[in-house]
Amino acid sequence: MKTKAGSDKLKRRAGIIVTFCVTALLMIYLSYKIPSLLPGDFITAMYGSSNVTLTAQQETELKAYYNEDRGFLSYLIRILSLDWGYSYAFLTPVAPLFFSALLWTILLMGSAHIISTLVGFIGGVEAVWRQNSRFEKLMVGGMTLLEGIPEICSGVILLVIFALHLQWFPASGAETAYAQNAFFERILDLGHHLVLPLLTLVLAYVPGNFLLTRNSMIMVIKAQFIITAKAKGIPPLKIRYKHAARNALLPVVTRFGLRFAFMITGALVVERINSYPGLGTLLFNAIQARDLPVIQAVVLASSVMVLAVILGMEHTYRMIDPRIGNAR
Amino acid sequence: MKLRLTICTFIFSFLILGILSSSSQLMAQEILKEIRISDSKGDWGYPNPYRHYPRGPGYIRMSWVFDTLIWKDQKGYLPALASSWKYRPETLSFVFRLRNDIKWHDGTPFSADDVVFTVKYFKKHPYNWVPMEQVKGAEQVGPNEVAITLHKPYAPFIAYIGGTMPIIPKHIWENVDEPRKFNEPAAFIGSGPFKFIDFDKTKGTYLYEANRQYYMGRPLTDRLIYIKAGNPIMTLLTGNADMANIKPDMAKPLLEKGMTIIENARGWNKKLMINHKKAPLDDKCFRRALAYAIDRQEIIEKAHRGFGSPASFGLLSPDHEFYNPDTPQYNHDTSRARRVLEALGYKEGSDGFYERDGKPLKVGLLSSNITVAGESVADRDGEVIRKQLEEAGIKVELANMEQATTDARVKKWQFDLAISGHGGLLGDARILNRMINPNITGSVNSARFGANKELLDLLRSQITEMDIEKRKALVYKIQEIYADELPAISLYYPASMAAYNPESGIKWFYTKGGISLGIPIAQNKLSLIRK
Repeated sequence: MKTKAGSDKLKRRAGIIVTFCVTALLMIYLSYKIPSLLPGDFITAMYGSSNVTLTAQQETELKAYYNEDRGFLSYLIRILSLDWGYSYAFLTPVAPLFFSALLWTILLMGSAHIISTLVGFIGGVEAVWRQNSRFEKLMVGGMTLLEGIPEICSGVILLVIFALHLQWFPASGAETAYAQNAFFERILDLGHHLVLPLLTLVLAYVPGNFLLTRNSMIMVIKAQFIITAKAKGIPPLKIRYKHAARNALLPVVTRFGLRFAFMITGALVVERINSYPGLGTLLFNAIQARDLPVIQAVVLASSVMVLAVILGMEHTYRMIDPRIGNAR
Repeated sequence: MKLRLTICTFIFSFLILGILSSSSQLMAQEILKEIRISDSKGDWGYPNPYRHYPRGPGYIRMSWVFDTLIWKDQKGYLPALASSWKYRPETLSFVFRLRNDIKWHDGTPFSADDVVFTVKYFKKHPYNWVPMEQVKGAEQVGPNEVAITLHKPYAPFIAYIGGTMPIIPKHIWENVDEPRKFNEPAAFIGSGPFKFIDFDKTKGTYLYEANRQYYMGRPLTDRLIYIKAGNPIMTLLTGNADMANIKPDMAKPLLEKGMTIIENARGWNKKLMINHKKAPLDDKCFRRALAYAIDRQEIIEKAHRGFGSPASFGLLSPDHEFYNPDTPQYNHDTSRARRVLEALGYKEGSDGFYERDGKPLKVGLLSSNITVAGESVADRDGEVIRKQLEEAGIKVELANMEQATTDARVKKWQFDLAISGHGGLLGDARILNRMINPNITGSVNSARFGANKELLDLLRSQITEMDIEKRKALVYKIQEIYADELPAISLYYPASMAAYNPESGIKWFYTKGGISLGIPIAQNKLSLIRK
């Protein structure tokens, strides 16, 4: 019996891996094909309205120079051998460009997701625990209101108040460019620049997490096992988080995962408002300039990230809720 | 749990360390004096001839590092690497006497060899800002003299070659076969007032350090920094930048904050591109009807709060020394536009729009957000023009697309009307050839108009006419014919302004005719040299 169960498990895992490999291949193809379907090309985008007026011959020469398209097979081989190509605009390899932007995206979006998930989750649990109290009503009202305010609006408001009028925080950038600072001054400077974009994102993400947790918790809190736990005299904090909240965690984890998967483009609005570096801006500029190798790299990396997050979430679900592992 | 916490802490520390090491960081012992310029786009490519973006801000970032033979200030041309120059018609050559006290950033002395090499190198590996097809060659004709010889007379030589061609060091570039891929630190060794230190592609920031041995004098600042800011004005107001291009309506509040505001002459125009290869736009009478129907002052008032002035129909700016004051005008007159259309056989339909042979008169209009100094700004030009044309009985389908898509359609002639814009209207009159000539294919601002033979002949002649007065007469005639044919309609000159903090001790200025080919940006390197 044991051997049969083991072989079933293996088959299931192999099935998942094959599915993911096929999907990854499809994504590589889409990352190759879709950017090239954009109207216009690098030379038109770069030279069209420039101070240089090209003759037909000059244009043909430049187009030939910048055309790296050697067909999908060549692209696939390149990608599999971890060669991401050269950026047309910068004439430098794409990989360092991508990873230097990725660091900023992870810092901003990673912190925003973790903080907003924690705040939203704890807020949701506490609100349900104090059901019908003033606190809950205030939280639900406030969060619903916040949910309706788009990042572009809250971002600009925060910028005007805290950067322009109060001048507590800088208006743009991730740090004071080329500041003559010592190591710890630089860390403080990084944090100082991070506050406004981070706050904008946290304000945008917290309400969703809060409302989702509250809705999940509201069902759990009335369950028999919670009443039993209370009757047994288990401390309230333990009931809330160990017994009740764990059961309400699944949708929050799903949201966290999906949001994380869209991390690359998710911060574009905030990156633009606060001139914060990151992958969103990199992709935006690359699309404007029709810098195909960069667009392809960012599109591919973001699709691979979605795949990886979905795989990771599968694993996390099983850890949170062991019943999933037995489901067929 | 502890293990996970340790892993998380490790990842976070790794991230912070990664960021800290991702860009070059100056740990200076002394606090250096610096000037910060704010820019909304940030990234304009690496500052060398082969790697900067082909727009004004890209050239300017390069111009701090690489000097040209001659340069310009508020009043006009003045010596740079060359202390004097003259044209020798008998040999069709420009002779430049070079200074002998100049060193490259790496300490190697600058010589006539470098100039001769640069000409040869640009002929072999074209740098598209400098048209080398008219240049036959260059040779050293004295200890510090170089003659650049032409195939035939070339009137824009001083503007397009002498005042634009960055001189590159022979000892570095002579072994470089693929200049676009040359990205070693040596690729940024120039003879200009600043040494290039860093370009952060992710952040869109640049760092330059003063070349203290600069032959025109030590720069007034130790460091020059470009920062990227979505809203450059905010960086000025918060003291994070010393200088930025500004929207004209912000001039007053900035002035109240103690900033100095400077305004440029009219050198950049917003323009209505016309598909003159397609009926009914191929008929110049129809194009004139468009000109009468459009109220340019209304566009300025409604879409730009009054900051701007109507453009000359002859393309060259009224501030240009070759501007023809008798260029034909088309003052706004909707009823006259209607009369022209009726004379062309159009009849007003029941919906108020014209039709001919049962077909309604309908044109597509592509809008655009392009504006001065490589910036983009959302405006309502398209909507105002649509309203005006519809008042004249022409149905308009307005489309506002992403810029590169619009550009691609204009280039392939897949449009009726398109709003575009360009500068260079104060620079050399060769701009007329670039913006009219049909053999220009790579520009979305060029009318590419070849239907008038006389116009094409005049364009050819003005390029080879070395006598200023005779050339001026030719350029006058070109403007007349251009305004008569209207292959494109210049709409207006948006007010172009910059603001700077006078406490920084720098006096920025707009260059006469624009920097190099006519770049309308107040970031002339001489601002950081002269007190």
